[in-house]
Amino acid sequence: MRTPAGEYFLQGNEACVEGAITAGVRFFAGYPITPSTEIAEGLSHRLTGKNGVFLQMEDEIACISAVIGASWSGVKSMTATSGPGFSLMQESVGYAAMSETPIVIVNVMRGGPSTGQPTRASQGDVMQTGYGSHGDYQVIAFAPATVQEMFDLTVDCFNYSEKYRVPAFLLSDAEVGHMRGLLTVPEEVKVVDRKEKGLMRQDEAYDVPDELVRPFPTFGKGHKTMITGMTHTDKNKIEPEDSKVHTELVTRLSKKVLKNRRDINKWEMMCPGSRTMVVSYGSAALGAKEVAAKDETVGLLRLKSIWPFPEEVVHEVASKCDRILVCEMNLGMLYWHIRRAALEAGCKKIELLSKIGGDPPTPSDVRHKLRAMGAV
Amino acid sequence: MKPVIDLALCKACNICVYICPKKCYSKGADISERGYFAAVVSAPENCYNHNREGKLICELCVLSCPDQAISWHPETEEERKK
Amino acid sequence: MDIFEFYRKEQWPHVFCPGCGIGTLMNCFYRAFDELGLTLDKTVFVGGIGCSSRVPLYINSDALHTTHGRAIAFATGLKLARPDLKVVVFTGDGDLGAIGGNHFINGCRRNVDMTVICINNNVYGMTGGQASITTPHNFLSTTTPFGSKEYPLDLSEIAVAAGANYVARWTTRHVHELTRSLKAAMQKKGFSFVEVVSQCPTNFGRRNKMADSTAMLEWFKDNSVRREKTRAAALDHVDLNIAGQITIGEFVDRNRECFEELIGVEKHG
Repeated sequence: MRTPAGEYFLQGNEACVEGAITAGVRFFAGYPITPSTEIAEGLSHRLTGKNGVFLQMEDEIACISAVIGASWSGVKSMTATSGPGFSLMQESVGYAAMSETPIVIVNVMRGGPSTGQPTRASQGDVMQTGYGSHGDYQVIAFAPATVQEMFDLTVDCFNYSEKYRVPAFLLSDAEVGHMRGLLTVPEEVKVVDRKEKGLMRQDEAYDVPDELVRPFPTFGKGHKTMITGMTHTDKNKIEPEDSKVHTELVTRLSKKVLKNRRDINKWEMMCPGSRTMVVSYGSAALGAKEVAAKDETVGLLRLKSIWPFPEEVVHEVASKCDRILVCEMNLGMLYWHIRRAALEAGCKKIELLSKIGGDPPTPSDVRHKLRAMGAV
Repeated sequence: MKPVIDLALCKACNICVYICPKKCYSKGADISERGYFAAVVSAPENCYNHNREGKLICELCVLSCPDQAISWHPETEEERKK
Repeated sequence: MDIFEFYRKEQWPHVFCPGCGIGTLMNCFYRAFDELGLTLDKTVFVGGIGCSSRVPLYINSDALHTTHGRAIAFATGLKLARPDLKVVVFTGDGDLGAIGGNHFINGCRRNVDMTVICINNNVYGMTGGQASITTPHNFLSTTTPFGSKEYPLDLSEIAVAAGANYVARWTTRHVHELTRSLKAAMQKKGFSFVEVVSQCPTNFGRRNKMADSTAMLEWFKDNSVRREKTRAAALDHVDLNIAGQITIGEFVDRNRECFEELIGVEKHG
């Protein structure tokens, strides 16, 4: 059922649909919201009656609930939404993290707060993605900047979510989602499948990445699994009053993502070693990319994954440069993380180019800011 | 068959005392190990299921007991004669 | 089936207060499940948050204890992704009708094959007895110290209007009728809904001159009216109204085509 290899001219959201189909999505629940609706429309064509389920639920809370339910039956499942819908989903994001349910949530970001700018791009949901639900937990989030990455990173979302049993997010925005461009689907696409409990292969024991990730006890296979959002032990027992059990559980949930940061984090580097580095992600990085392509004194670190925060690479970049410019389409969110990491690495000058209102920073915006910083 | 109350489970809500149409149960006077005045089966010979085997009838007490404390047990020879 | 084949031994005994009606419902459900001869490994129990939603944690099968109010939405996803599994949802009046009202109405409308059992105790029991959407008019609770001035919601009539295939309401005083309805509901293809009006002596009865669970059962007995009789009553009749009337009986039993048949997931699974 996967997308045949070849070249396509597609919209970002359509590329996301193809990525999801290629990764093996079998269940989608959605609710119409600009600017992510094309993903729901696309998947309703691709799933209904073709060994998959497309559901239009009554609200976004129901969407993510249905997706978590479907995931426990052992199928890859996803939902797509935008700002206000994403805010509604937060409680169940925490549930998915606590119950270690692999799900994929595509958030095509739009201008907020509240209804804001439904048709314009923004990167205002970055902090909400990482810290939106109550309690301590870690998630995985990717930020695509091109149509090709809408495909590639959707596949990665599924792969990492299945591998580590965490909710994974594709933090696209209205700009990338509605951008049209070339998509090259390769012959071979690496697809990771869930490691189910009880399915022991001969050559290896339970094939899970490390002891922090448990094999997945799929429903309906006699495991008598008890899944709960309450503090629980591995042996299906709820222990909401036991501080030791809670500490162990919540620490493991964070550790399984943080410890595997090197495996998860992806980035693109241009002119490494420049004295001036721009750090950016998503469509906000496109202007800076053009500057870095023309001017070899300006380097670019474009983060493809933003949660877990790519500590190591930011540290490495910051330790070798004099000044860092962070480009974001919000009033400074990932900037504070980058600033902290860069200060720790010894870089003194870290500034922010923030542009909100819907337009990504242009190359001249970046050049202007760099000039003000004394870089070019 | 006769109803038997499991003292480890009974929480003395006395629903059995209220619901039994044949007044087989009565409120307890002794504190059980769990700390409740557990109900007692004072007149099992009144029960519809007295000396009955196979499919039982009524069963209001067993179905109503919120703590799953009542279960059916076969009677002894002595109890049968009552 | 032995009692500890059905219940999880390590969770036993359950946490419910003395005289709580949830234990009665568990007996009736166990009886109905056993008599139907269903297999536990092919049944999934889903619950939301609240006293009633704890029931899935005690049953020795796959259980999904979800977020507050969303149990039906979780169950919808689960059922459609695995149509061969039987899905039973345990929920309460606050979980189903208040925070999850939207999912309840749309669940009935969508008519996915599942059984929803609502234990309606007229109060938020687990948080200490606050008024719920089904608290009868002028009854006391910790948040309505001068009597609840809102009128209660009739969950079963909503299920009928929204399109559920099977709807019944009984009280914990009607154990045999309840067991029969639970069996009918589990056999029914499509969305089936059983509402159980249950006693909460600790948090509802105690504040309304019925501190004894038997007093509440007596109240159920005296005020229950068969639905056939109430249909002829006044048109402005609201369930559990000032007079405290409880309409019981089978509300509807029909065979609307269920959602998985309509979208064809049953065929390819």
